[in-house]
Amino acid sequence: MSANPDAAIAADGLVRAFPGVRAVDGIDLAIERGRVFGFLGANGSGKTTTIRMLTTLLRPTEGRAFVDGLDVQRHPNDVRRRIGVALQEAGLDDLQTGRELLTLQGRLQGMPRSAVAPRADELLAIVELEDAADRKIGTYSGGMRRRLDLASALVHEPSIVFLDEPTSGLDPISREALWRYVERLNREDGVTFFLTTQYLEEADRLADEIAIIDAGRIVASGSPAALKATIGADVVSLRIEDGDGAEVAVERASERIRALPGLEELRRTEDALVVYIREGSQAIAPIVTIANETGLSVLEVTLAQPTLDDVFLRATGRRLEVDADVPEPGARDASEAAA
Amino acid sequence: MTALAMASYQLCRRAVRETIRQPGVEVSNLFIPLFFFFVTVGAISNVAGPAFGVRNYEGFQLPVAVLQCVAGSASVSGVVIIRDIESGYFDKLLLTPSPRLAIVLGRLIADAIRAVAFTAVILVVITLAGSGMEAGPLGYVVILALAGLFGLAYSGIGVAIGLRTGNAQAAQAGFLLFFPLLFLSPAFAPKEVFDPWLEFLASINPVTYLLEGMRTLVLDGWQWDNLAGALAAVIGLGVVTIALSLWALRTRTR
Repeated sequence: MSANPDAAIAADGLVRAFPGVRAVDGIDLAIERGRVFGFLGANGSGKTTTIRMLTTLLRPTEGRAFVDGLDVQRHPNDVRRRIGVALQEAGLDDLQTGRELLTLQGRLQGMPRSAVAPRADELLAIVELEDAADRKIGTYSGGMRRRLDLASALVHEPSIVFLDEPTSGLDPISREALWRYVERLNREDGVTFFLTTQYLEEADRLADEIAIIDAGRIVASGSPAALKATIGADVVSLRIEDGDGAEVAVERASERIRALPGLEELRRTEDALVVYIREGSQAIAPIVTIANETGLSVLEVTLAQPTLDDVFLRATGRRLEVDADVPEPGARDASEAAA
Repeated sequence: MTALAMASYQLCRRAVRETIRQPGVEVSNLFIPLFFFFVTVGAISNVAGPAFGVRNYEGFQLPVAVLQCVAGSASVSGVVIIRDIESGYFDKLLLTPSPRLAIVLGRLIADAIRAVAFTAVILVVITLAGSGMEAGPLGYVVILALAGLFGLAYSGIGVAIGLRTGNAQAAQAGFLLFFPLLFLSPAFAPKEVFDPWLEFLASINPVTYLLEGMRTLVLDGWQWDNLAGALAAVIGLGVVTIALSLWALRTRTR
C-alpha cells in the first residue's frame, strides 16, 4: 500500500523493531480528516509504539508515516506544530501550576504571549480546572492531571490530536466528560483524533473507524458497524465451569454444535464456548440441550448481537482484557525523536 | 527574539521557578560549603601562615566555598532532567517545535543564575567573617561572573550524564566528580608545597585555575594572568560539558 499524503494520518509499511522484537510490524494507515480513529489493542500490542512514531518521538525502523500530508521524519517540526499529543502517562511537571504549564506549552509551540494567556484561561474553563489553575500540579488528582494533559495537547489549537489511552485510570464521570469533549471538538472544530484504547466501549462510542492491532499488526479494520457486520451472526456464549472432564465435554459438545444449521463459527475462550450462529434465538435451545447431553457444566448462557468484543475475539483469538499497564518495548526509554 | 532564545528563556524561567519553589533542596548547597569553610579555617588558619605562607586563610578558602556551593547546586540539573524523563514531561517538551538546544540551554542558564545568587550569599557571609577583598568591590563582581560561568559549565556534566543514562544515581555522580577535582587542586594549600605528582595533576585541573583566579582577587588584587587562566579554564570546561550535553541530547532524541 502507498500512503495517501492527503489523509490526515497515513502510514505505509511502518515497522519499529527493538532487540528481539518487532513491536510494530508493517502497519498501513489512511485516516481521513475530521474522523475519530480508534486504535484498539491489548497492552503490549504496539499501540503506543505506533503513536510515538506518528508523533515524531520514535524513528520507524522501516516504512513511512505522514501527518497532515507531511513526512514525520523529514518535517518533524512542521508535524509538531500541527499535532496535539496526550500520551499514556500524563507528562506533567508537578512544580508548575496548571496555568503555568499551559502557558509554557503555548509559548514553546510558538504562540505569541498575548494569545497564550486567554487560550490558557479558555482551556482551563473547558476542562473545569479554573479553581485549581494556580495550584501546583503536584496537588492534582489523577482525573485533574488527565484533563490538564488534554488541555496542554490542545493549547495551540492543533487540527490533529493523538490521545494514547486517554481515559485509562479515570473514574466513570471523568471518562464521560472527556468523551463529550472529544466529541465536541470533532463535531464543532473538525479535529481529527487518533485514539488508542483498551476499552471497547470507548472505541464503540467515539470512533468512526477502528483498527485492531495484535502483535504489531493490524488484524481488522473498518467502522464499528461494518466490523460487527463481519460477524454475520448472533453470539451465543456458554460460560463453562472448569473442572475434571470439562475439556472432554467441550470437545463432545463442540462436535455436535458444529453440525447445527446456521453455524458461522465456534470459538473456545479461557472460560467460555462462543457460538456465532444465525437465528441465535432459535438456536439457543438446541445448544443448551447439547450442553446438557454432553455433560458440559454451564454457568451462564447469553445471547447477544455481535459486539466489538466479538470482533476482537475473532480477529485475535482472545478477549480483550484490560490489565495492568505493561509498557511496550522502548515505550519510554527509547524516546528517540525523529529529529 | 529567535526561536532558540525565546524557548531557552521560557525553559530557564521554569528552571528558576523550580528553585524558588523547593528552597529546601538548595539549603544544603549553601550550608555544607559554609560549614566546611568555618571548620577548615578554624582548624588550619593558625598553622597556615607559618606552614604555607598564607596570611589570610579566610580569603584563601573563600573560592573553595564558592566552587563547592556552585558545583553542588549545578549538579541538581541532571537529576531534574531525569525526573522530567521519568514523568513524561521531557516527551512533552520534545513534542513542541522549539529547538532541542533550548532544552539544554534553558537549564544551563538557570544554573548560572542560581550559581550567581548562591555565590552572593557565600560572599556576604565570608566577607563578614573577615576574608576581605583586595581587588575592591569590582572583585566581587568578577567572582560572581566566574561562579556563574562555572555553574553553567559544571551543570553540563550532570545534564549530559542524565540525558545519556536516564539514571538519577548516575546523574548525582556528577557532584561526586567535584571532590577529586577539588582535592587535586590547591584547595587547602598552595600548589608550591605539593609533591611533584600532585602539582602536575593540579596543573591540568581546571578547578586549580579557577581557584587561583578568584584567590588573586581576594588576596592580591588584580593579576591579569591569573584571571585569564581562570576564564580560559571555565570556558574550556564549558565547551567540553556543553558539547557532551548536546551529544547526549542528540543520542536521546535521534
